[in-house]
Amino acid sequence: MLPLDQNTIINFLFYSFFYLLFAVPLTLSYRTTRVLNFAHANFITYGAYVAVFLNGLLGNQSLLLSCLLAFLVSGTLAVASHIFVFKPLSDRGASMSLIMIASMGLWIMYNYVLYMLADIAHALSGVNFVSYGRILYNDVPEIMIGSLRLSGGFIAVSVAAVGMVVFLSFFLNKTLLGKAMRAVADNPVLAEISGIPRNKVITVTWVITGGIVGIAGAIWTSFSGTVTPTTGDAMILQVFTVAFIGGLVSLVKTGIGAFVIALIENVGISFLNAWFGVPTSFRTFLTFVTLLVILIAFPPLGAAGGLPFRYRRKRGEAR
Amino acid sequence: MIDVVGFLISWLTFLGIYGILAVSLNFESGTSGVTNFGKVFFYGLGAYIGAALTVYLFLLLSGVDTSKVSPFDIEGIVLLGELATKNPILDIGLLVASLVLAFLVAGIVGYLLSYPIIRVGPAFVGFTLLSTGELFRIFVQHYEPLGGSKGIMSIPHPFAWVPNPTLRALLYLFIVLGLLALTYFVFRRLYNSPLGRTLRAVRDDEIAALCLGKHVPRLKAMVLFIGSGFAGMAGVLLAFYYSSINPDIFVPAVTFNVWAMIILGGMGNLEGSLLGAAIFTLFDRLLAFVTPQLGITIISPDYIRGFLVGFLIVAVLLFRPQGILKEGKIETPAWKVYEEEVKGEKSG
Repeated sequence: MLPLDQNTIINFLFYSFFYLLFAVPLTLSYRTTRVLNFAHANFITYGAYVAVFLNGLLGNQSLLLSCLLAFLVSGTLAVASHIFVFKPLSDRGASMSLIMIASMGLWIMYNYVLYMLADIAHALSGVNFVSYGRILYNDVPEIMIGSLRLSGGFIAVSVAAVGMVVFLSFFLNKTLLGKAMRAVADNPVLAEISGIPRNKVITVTWVITGGIVGIAGAIWTSFSGTVTPTTGDAMILQVFTVAFIGGLVSLVKTGIGAFVIALIENVGISFLNAWFGVPTSFRTFLTFVTLLVILIAFPPLGAAGGLPFRYRRKRGEAR
Repeated sequence: MIDVVGFLISWLTFLGIYGILAVSLNFESGTSGVTNFGKVFFYGLGAYIGAALTVYLFLLLSGVDTSKVSPFDIEGIVLLGELATKNPILDIGLLVASLVLAFLVAGIVGYLLSYPIIRVGPAFVGFTLLSTGELFRIFVQHYEPLGGSKGIMSIPHPFAWVPNPTLRALLYLFIVLGLLALTYFVFRRLYNSPLGRTLRAVRDDEIAALCLGKHVPRLKAMVLFIGSGFAGMAGVLLAFYYSSINPDIFVPAVTFNVWAMIILGGMGNLEGSLLGAAIFTLFDRLLAFVTPQLGITIISPDYIRGFLVGFLIVAVLLFRPQGILKEGKIETPAWKVYEEEVKGEKSG
């Protein structure tokens, strides 16, 4: 007997779309800028909190407005990180791990800034912003297919995910800027020699990355039970694992990874629960095991800075 | 009236524990280039191993059946408190046993964990270790034999038989500082050894080191073994100092604090990380004294502290990447001979 019901499948699709929206920009930003950005979690959280503050302080009930503002805020955050931190560091020739450590510092900093903002907003309005309930929006319709009720949040996230895929495939394949972005990703030095304004391209990448993730964060408020300043942090294991499936290089593989991880986390755990009695709170462990398996079986090499150790010959083995 | 002696003892104890963490992390990350964002995992692992071993063994060796009197019940907790005051040998013996076991287990786990990550770049190493730490916390929270979210309480203090509390804390402080000295000595030797120079080569250019015949994966695995082992010992010291631990102590923020210490003090400089640990722990202790006197503020001081940790990491990396103390030269025997020669020439 298969423990599959409508809820599991709907949740699977929900999470697939969210992971798609969170992880594809991560891969895009990594392969263009060569910065593994831990502050990626902040883009999610800031996007969500734009929606929360709009709802809690101004009583806004339009998801579209929240998304637009979230795009601006998270995009600005990403560009600010680039201009003030990542660019000076990489101009100085700092190593990849040093930039990664700096992004970790940014992650902590932004997180506590958000806590402070929530405290100030609490003092102003008396609303508890550190744990905010689900927001109901009135500008996304519910759709009934037969007996299946699709919530507004589901409609919004599927539109956003499909929109992002269409936009990115058009942008990267057809426009000049998108082609320049791919060139920078492939070989930054050669791109610069060919006259591509590398810094501009990287800035645009950050806008797109931060913006898309911010929008997804805003939509997250219509789905998740509560929103807290650690919303994004709680998801980075999944998001990074998805991006690692793509080797931090391939956008298509990252997209497939989003579905794989969502499948493991939703369908896989319900099978394990029904057959072996594994508690559902252990779903994160499945993701972690997947991460280790990926690192052992398909180590992302080359572009991600790994050395091809597995091609090393063993001592005494002549070939 | 401020209790100066109590303040100094608590500060120095924390300095000892964080000093061990900072020195070992600096060796891993500053000297060898293993970006370990999961320090808290080994720290927590050590603390839990020490605490669980002590609590269970203590009851078993005192002739109590742990299947009837669980160390997590009120009865067990009271019993532990009573028994600890009567058994000096068992108290100290269990501390030593915990330290040894925690070193071995944390070290071996670190060694095994290095397997998936030795072949991939720094980006993956940092992230994998970070998520390991977070998963360990979730696991302990849901695992009842280790106390679940309540954690392990009433870990018998190794000097519980000393009646005077100040003297008790002072004796424990000596153990902590002794272990800090041992840690510093071990890493100092490693740092100045040929191995230390090899590790710096790996940090600066992995490919070049590989081409010169250095077995980079094995070196990294060894570094993780040693660093994690010492972090596990620091965890044991924390567990015995607090005498109760719970999963909420071992949040990623601990790792970030230790990172801020070594970045502020200077990456690749062991004295620097001690200095960084001293500054941070002093600041923390002062904050712990000041916070209750402020009453309710609009912005919680904890948030400002957390913000400063992040800000410090970014600012130091941007404006003074070498930290307070620069990475020094390596004191090899040959260098000493050379220095003496130079001195002799100047004076003569």
